[in-house]
Amino acid sequence: MANQDDLDNDFGDDDKKRGRGGVNKRGFGRKKKMLNEKELTIDYKDPQTLKYFITDRGKIMPRRITGASAKTQRKIALAIKRARKIALMPFTVTGK
Amino acid sequence: MAIQTNKDKPGTSREYETIFILRPDTANDAIATLNTRLKGIVETMGGKILKADNWGKRKLAYEIKKQMKGIYLYWQYLATPGTVEELERNLRMLDNVIRYQSVKIDSDVDPTARPSEVSDETWAKAATTAADEEEIMTGQSASRSPYDDDDDIDPDAEEEALQAAGGDDDEKKDQE
Repeated sequence: MANQDDLDNDFGDDDKKRGRGGVNKRGFGRKKKMLNEKELTIDYKDPQTLKYFITDRGKIMPRRITGASAKTQRKIALAIKRARKIALMPFTVTGK
Repeated sequence: MAIQTNKDKPGTSREYETIFILRPDTANDAIATLNTRLKGIVETMGGKILKADNWGKRKLAYEIKKQMKGIYLYWQYLATPGTVEELERNLRMLDNVIRYQSVKIDSDVDPTARPSEVSDETWAKAATTAADEEEIMTGQSASRSPYDDDDDIDPDAEEEALQAAGGDDDEKKDQE
């Protein structure tokens, strides 16, 4: 009986081992944008590079979509917030 | 006069950059007086200005103080602790400045290792605001707020300026 239980658990583990590369129930489609982070210079004075990291509404995109590392994501978020303060980037964009 | 802190090594400065936004209708000589005043503050407190740029009139991402455009000034300087506080206090008092932001780039910078890129020419350039596209096209001052009545614009002058620039695309198509 104990063996049966162990077998059941193994199936569950397989999903985890495959990683989240399979179909995600929420349907995002797991394509992580491969960021070449070594060539990226994040500067709050340069809204052109930062534009890739915001949605069309002006919100900061989460890391799971952009594929950035944790460190880069922190730099991006800080740069966007600074750029917002001096009106180089909007806080929000209302679709007209 | 500089504040002494324990964190900084003696004989080194911190590197800062400050961006401030002025009202779009600020005249060039007003910018020049502002620059001299701030320069005085930084230098009395033992700092050194590395860069002073005028990015010209830019469209703001959102309206500030009922203005849609602003003149951006960008300064990079070495300073001792306490300078930024004094600088920002002065910026707060000036009416022309509508926003400012200071960022510390580096600490423990050797002042002699960083040459100052400012000369009299830089100051003269920093006081001249480059005209932006809208001004060139319409030939009018673009410091209109969205609350202004559009009847104030002279449509004939706008039309003339457009003709001089090469005419409207729609009219050209009609002529063909």
